[in-house]
Amino acid sequence: MKSVIGRKRLAAAALGVTFALVAVACSSSSTGASSSGSGAPTTGGTIREEAPEFGWTDAFDPTGEYLGTAWGMMDQLLIRGLMTYKHVDAAQGGDTPVPDIATGPPTVSADQLTYDFTLKDNVMWAPPLSRAVTADDVLYAFQRINDKKLVAQYGNYYCGVIKGMDCAAKDDNQPISGITVTDATHISFNLEQPTGDLLYRLSMPAAKPVPVEVRGCFPNPGDYGVDVISSGPYMIMGQDKLNLSSCSTIKPISGYNVDKGMTLVRNPNWQAATDDNRKAYADGIQIKINSNVDDSFNALENGDLDVVQGTPPVAVLQDFETNPDFQGWLHADQGDRTWYVTMNLLAPPFDDVHVRNAVNLALDKAGIRKAYGGDKRGELATSVEPPTVLPQSQDINPFAANTGSGSQTDAMDEMKQSRYDTNHNGICDDGGACDNILFLGRSTDPWPNMNQVAVASLKPILPGLDLKEVDTSTGYTTLQQVKKLVPISMVPGWGKDYASPYGFDFFIFDSAGIACTAAVNYSLVGMTEAQATECGVKPEYDAYVKNWGPMPSVDDKMKECVAKPADQVDACFAELDTYLMTTAVPWAPWLWATQFTSTNLNTVTSYAFDQNAGIISYVNTSVNNGLTPQNVA
Amino acid sequence: MGRYIIRRLLWVVLVLVVIVVITYSIFFLLPGGGSDAIANRFAGKQPNPEIVAEVKQQFGLDKPIYVQFYIFTRNLFLGDQYGWPGLGKSFVLRAPLKPVLIERMWVTIQLAVGAAIIWLLVGIPIGILSALRPRSIWDRAAMTFALIGISMPVFFIGPLALYVFVYKWHILPGSGYSPIGEDGVWQWFNHFILPWCVLALLYAAFYARLSRANLLDVMGEDYMRTARAKGLNERQVIVKHGLRSSLTPLVTVFGLDLAGLLAGAVITETVFNLPGLGQYAVRSVFSLDLYAILDVTVIAAFFVAIANLVVDIVYAFLDPRVRYT
Amino acid sequence: MPEPLLEVKDLHVYFPTEDGIVKAVDGVSFSISPGETLGVVGESGSGKSVSFLTVMGLINRKSAIVEGEVIFQGQDLLTIPKDELQAIRGNKIGMIFQDPMTSLHPFYKVGDQIAETILAHEDISKKEAGARAVDMLKRVGIPRPDERARQYPHEFSGGMRQRAMIAMALSLNPDLLIADEPTTALDVTVQAQILDLIDRLQSEFNTAVALITHDLGVVAEHCDYIQVMYAGRLVEIGTGDDIYYEPMMPYTWGLLKSIPLLTAQEERLHPIRGLPPSLINLPEGCPFNPRCPYVFDRCHVEVPQLLPVDGFHAAACHLSLEDRKRIVQEEVLERT
Repeated sequence: MKSVIGRKRLAAAALGVTFALVAVACSSSSTGASSSGSGAPTTGGTIREEAPEFGWTDAFDPTGEYLGTAWGMMDQLLIRGLMTYKHVDAAQGGDTPVPDIATGPPTVSADQLTYDFTLKDNVMWAPPLSRAVTADDVLYAFQRINDKKLVAQYGNYYCGVIKGMDCAAKDDNQPISGITVTDATHISFNLEQPTGDLLYRLSMPAAKPVPVEVRGCFPNPGDYGVDVISSGPYMIMGQDKLNLSSCSTIKPISGYNVDKGMTLVRNPNWQAATDDNRKAYADGIQIKINSNVDDSFNALENGDLDVVQGTPPVAVLQDFETNPDFQGWLHADQGDRTWYVTMNLLAPPFDDVHVRNAVNLALDKAGIRKAYGGDKRGELATSVEPPTVLPQSQDINPFAANTGSGSQTDAMDEMKQSRYDTNHNGICDDGGACDNILFLGRSTDPWPNMNQVAVASLKPILPGLDLKEVDTSTGYTTLQQVKKLVPISMVPGWGKDYASPYGFDFFIFDSAGIACTAAVNYSLVGMTEAQATECGVKPEYDAYVKNWGPMPSVDDKMKECVAKPADQVDACFAELDTYLMTTAVPWAPWLWATQFTSTNLNTVTSYAFDQNAGIISYVNTSVNNGLTPQNVA
Repeated sequence: MGRYIIRRLLWVVLVLVVIVVITYSIFFLLPGGGSDAIANRFAGKQPNPEIVAEVKQQFGLDKPIYVQFYIFTRNLFLGDQYGWPGLGKSFVLRAPLKPVLIERMWVTIQLAVGAAIIWLLVGIPIGILSALRPRSIWDRAAMTFALIGISMPVFFIGPLALYVFVYKWHILPGSGYSPIGEDGVWQWFNHFILPWCVLALLYAAFYARLSRANLLDVMGEDYMRTARAKGLNERQVIVKHGLRSSLTPLVTVFGLDLAGLLAGAVITETVFNLPGLGQYAVRSVFSLDLYAILDVTVIAAFFVAIANLVVDIVYAFLDPRVRYT
Repeated sequence: MPEPLLEVKDLHVYFPTEDGIVKAVDGVSFSISPGETLGVVGESGSGKSVSFLTVMGLINRKSAIVEGEVIFQGQDLLTIPKDELQAIRGNKIGMIFQDPMTSLHPFYKVGDQIAETILAHEDISKKEAGARAVDMLKRVGIPRPDERARQYPHEFSGGMRQRAMIAMALSLNPDLLIADEPTTALDVTVQAQILDLIDRLQSEFNTAVALITHDLGVVAEHCDYIQVMYAGRLVEIGTGDDIYYEPMMPYTWGLLKSIPLLTAQEERLHPIRGLPPSLINLPEGCPFNPRCPYVFDRCHVEVPQLLPVDGFHAAACHLSLEDRKRIVQEEVLERT
């Protein structure tokens, strides 16, 4: 899942404007600030928000859209599926899927291969459709995922998992053998193998029903994004004016313009009685695009806006902290995201696990966090996944000797055991491997300061570190090229896809996440020989195998954990993560980051955070401005 | 003259083609760019090879660069499935670019023309009056204003103006674009007046200096003395003889300045949230929307190239000593 | 002499500058009668142009100190109101300048520029003014004048341009034409044509002419009277014959001697040695004393007054009349 706010910071900062913005892709701090509303909720009014851009990756088409914000909006406001989330913070269970259109949890067969769902018969599509959502609508969503052209970004969660789905169908009208629709309110899924986190996968927007009336009307990725038909508490303003009689008569909904904004109004067909997870206090939501972020915060402080998401500019942050009028306006919520230093197993000296251990022991995590903005940025990380995704993470801390600021002595002790420390004095000195080690960092503010702190804490054991700073985009692209074999980098951050550990761990640690020019498993954990050959790093691969034995891999463990029943998944992943942090050690994670949302407490009477989406919970937040929604598109 | 124009137009075509080549080169050769970067960005957070390949194919990025370049250039001049000129499809919007660009161009035109009117009406008279009273209080004040106007960048004055006029004094409603058809002329004006003034400030200052310098120069010319010797009154001398000579060079400068602005006043549009070409250019670059980038660049180059041609032709009408074959 | 058309009395024109006060015209008095041609001769910086620019009112009164009187047809041009002066300029007094290329506006047609003069003073239609402009061009000898009137200055040759300027200056039949170095920028052959033209027009229009030049050869056949200026002062005045056959002042002698003769055997020129004086720091006494071959003590002390030599002929020099006559006979005239 990707969040948009960071990109805009990048854009604004690169414009050279004097806003000294923090370039962060997604952030939050976990300092226990309760993100639930403090006051009594009020009904009515309009939630007014501004964002610098939407930043969709697939034009808001649920089948392929990958942006976290989009997921949150679809899931909360527009599309009800078999399962949903509670749209509250982690403490209140915001990361666990619950039934939505399904009357209750599915009936699962003994072999864990069949899931039967019964649907409520009174969850209605918004006008002009105005009929109940049926099982055929659910099936159609999967037929769209299966359509080769529609390129569902996370199709792999379903293809090869649900029988008959291979994501290579020629259009959106091909039957799927593994999904059976018995009648309008009954649907069954047959799986290839047991999949313990199927319910999480069914909560993702791509898996949510699409009305069959639009079959064949949106054959290209992104097309449906301008016409998303709602079954949730809100609909995009103007949806009721659509003419759905044929594909050619369907025009884009007037209340949404990707360049200008989106306005949502109540879905008159939504019944609160059918929906336990959405309060929908407000009468409408307005999200306006404003390329000037400073201006948005000015408007917020002035009372013209209720919400602005993302990290505020430094001046505004200071304002929030010092001015009593703005007390409590800034919410720092758990972001379900980890910032980490990645190390490449095939790039000496990081092929030696002692060196990787030493890095974990030496890294001044607290110092980096301070340079990043301080405590409210999040909790210092000790393991790969944040505790909100995997509760056991709190207990996984193999490098406890590093209490936060790095422990030079312990790091050097560890380094002494490395073959790259030829004289065993705790310093990497083996000429070829220890000299000119590229450390890739971000160049946008405040990362240069953070890079300095990180490198300074590592220099005592790795004097040959050579810091190079690039813009975020270039950084990611470079890391994604396997052949470049970037040895060590502090560029990346990683957020969950869904709140089960599989959604977090899969692509970054499974060998499936290694593609020669598009790798996200930067450390190359579990790389196979075939992959090494294809990507042109066979010599390094062979060297590794010769020196250390087979590459550490979690592929098998991953399959095992995924097949576990839902209540045993977490414990299995705890083992997997422990293996990662003690034996494979691909990372030195340093922060479990928070997410910032700013609200005008004069108008926002109660605030809720949607842990799963990582954004404000629109459906459980209330305002008292009494305004009717205006079309901002 | 006709043959001259034809020749120049051919050069414009050549310039546009070269611009496209250069843009493609920059895009594909720089680190952080290229087919892979685009495909990865739109393939999502966890692109596996199949998805990336599919995305590349849909965007036409799987073909060799020179083929892509050829297709784009051919479409540009001959039109594509969305109309003429062929501006392609946006990766971000997943929709044809032509309507978007036309709409945005219209906003930029409103911004540029409005600002142009203001800076001409403010800058040139100030410059003229300063030239007529050199070294007087007025002259010094005017040139100080000019110095400030030239030195203060839009990204400083813009937010400052917004803060003062919108949030502090509540005189104006806010940033953004309000089309005339939507909320009426008054709102439209209210939203444009600040960006117009902020954008015009730099140019007004520059034009004040320029017209002052030109007029001072011209005042010392022999034909001014002749005009007085003929018995013309001072006003006739200055207006008919002085201004005609001193303002004619400004026509050239103005043409090019306006053309540059039509390519998009990037910072002004971003600060004031005006959905014009400049704002779109920035966004496209950062989201690696290749065709949008190419289109905006080509449009900008086109305006400048055509403006060059137009000012040259206009100048030939204004200055009889200039003749083209 | 008949009632003077223009009478300049004790004119001083000073320009204050950072380096000091430039005394461009330092006590000049002369007069011009109707129909008369006055030649005004001197080097650059002699004050010849400035005097007449002051007459026309073309000197910026804010940056110059002007004292004296300029009486034209009974009015003091230095004190009359601006609009009255404007009515006289171009109308009663016309002026042409040295470089016709830069003196005509490059962007307007020649015919229009001439018509402009007429329209500035007479209330007639544009068409009529245009017709009169064409007529003027014909009178100054420009062939196909209606075609030429529609052309721009850069399409004219140097001589033609000067003719056009003359046409412009004479278009309202002024009583006085001031010609400031009209031939300096032209070839020798064209020079003669222009001077003949001025002569002809002068008798046609019955205009008085002030012909300003640094070239003594130019004024030889065309002027009734000649005045020689040096360092802002008149140093000799007289008729053409007086100046050429009996000059009475060393500077005039120098000017005559420096004219190259076609018949001379030698190849070297005989310029006046030295440079014109700085108008800020004039020498004590006679301003010519640093360069005068006949200088003696009195010259360094006292400024010579313009004293009559013979009737109208006057010169400013401390040498005795006898000495001067002798020098003229022996050293100057044998040359000319």
